[in-house]
Amino acid sequence: MNKIDCDVHVRWSSTVEISRYLDEPWKSRMERGYISYAHNGYPNPDGSYKLDSIPPGKRSAGTDPAYTASDLLDRYEIEKAILIGESSHLAISNLANADWAAALASAYNQWFIDRWFQADARFYGSMMVATQDPGLAAEEIRAKGRNPRFVQVILGSGSRLPYGNRFFRPIHEAAEETGLPIAIHPFTDGAGIANPPTSVGYPSYYIEFHTLAINSLQAHIVSMICEGVFELFPNLKLVIVEGGIGWLMPLLWRLEKNWKGLRTEIPWVKRSPIEIAAERIRLTTQPLDEPADKRHLKQMIEMLPSDEMLMFSSDYPHWDFDNPEKVFRDFNEDFRQKVFYDNAAKLYNL
Amino acid sequence: MEKMRPVASLNQIPPGERKIIDYKGIEIGLFNIDGEIHAILNRCPHMGAPLCQGKLQNEIESETPGRYLTRYQTVLRCPWHKWEFRLIDGSCITSPDTRVKVFETQIKNGEIYLRI
Repeated sequence: MNKIDCDVHVRWSSTVEISRYLDEPWKSRMERGYISYAHNGYPNPDGSYKLDSIPPGKRSAGTDPAYTASDLLDRYEIEKAILIGESSHLAISNLANADWAAALASAYNQWFIDRWFQADARFYGSMMVATQDPGLAAEEIRAKGRNPRFVQVILGSGSRLPYGNRFFRPIHEAAEETGLPIAIHPFTDGAGIANPPTSVGYPSYYIEFHTLAINSLQAHIVSMICEGVFELFPNLKLVIVEGGIGWLMPLLWRLEKNWKGLRTEIPWVKRSPIEIAAERIRLTTQPLDEPADKRHLKQMIEMLPSDEMLMFSSDYPHWDFDNPEKVFRDFNEDFRQKVFYDNAAKLYNL
Repeated sequence: MEKMRPVASLNQIPPGERKIIDYKGIEIGLFNIDGEIHAILNRCPHMGAPLCQGKLQNEIESETPGRYLTRYQTVLRCPWHKWEFRLIDGSCITSPDTRVKVFETQIKNGEIYLRI
């Protein structure tokens, strides 16, 4: 079965790859070691990559287009891959200097076009914007977002405001105008100037950070629905990347119940939150929940209000990679066709 | 029928080294830990990763939060999802019901034998 993998991570092997796309003063600064992305305090204690994804003789995975193509696409019959920068790249939105962040995002997008799109026709990409100045982000979306190989605008989850807030309206507008979904990817929470990774502050361990990454995703979803973003922009879609799926319905049931009693606070939300989510929100599947009783996974998926919401993702080359040959094996062909291919093909016009 | 069969020479696997062999289509990792040979199936039961490409480390335990104890028992970490398997018996530290097949080994005249 041909597949579309909706979350494949790539990175630059050295800052030189990016600095050549920068204008001054940024180019010289980056070459002098100026901070190129904001860090958080949660490194994976055992490394971030599945070990066999690191090309021989290299230190990092996801830096070599030919290796990614053979080790992932050829090996697993993946017809198209939606590439995404490392979460550390996405944390440019958490740098303090808004102009530097915008310049870096623009350079990054050009690097993406030259380094990855030219290397293999199966690679599609997620364009990055810096959210500190949504006006500049909108300019970048309009400048490069019409490249047919960019299929979405991606934002890191770490923020100082939830993404439905009107502060981000220029980004919503530009995404609608260019026909690009907005995607949100976790794991930039707590980086740089972002808020702490949880609403109660900083956990101690990576395992907590990783597990709780769904907190900010939930906040962004509720915000985008309640702020009326989907009412204002009738074609805009939201893709939640690398959050898994099991937590979505309890959140939506809670929101739906509240909406029935509290709708007058947000009367611009004309339809039920579950109906809006079914039409506008898509989830990539990894890290797929692994309940001991496999029936429970099927039951969770049956609870979703639409069979168009899930899109397969592997998260290659990361340590929590979902093997396309192993996940959803017990599901029927109709479901597998939708999840492995059709849903992404429809959303991204592939 | 299972019996002891020669699969490799001991001098191919010095202490600290490993070798993955293919015995009639079955991939098995041979590990030399301080002169003792351990043999374990090269397939993680979780998602089918090539288990024997993973890193070895000492088993880590704790008796109280914030304190780490390292045991001399050797653990093989899956190269994909980092699940932990004891080399001695293939048991998975986090999942008592999960086990990777290990093979009885013997060394005779510089040859490594497996019961297979």
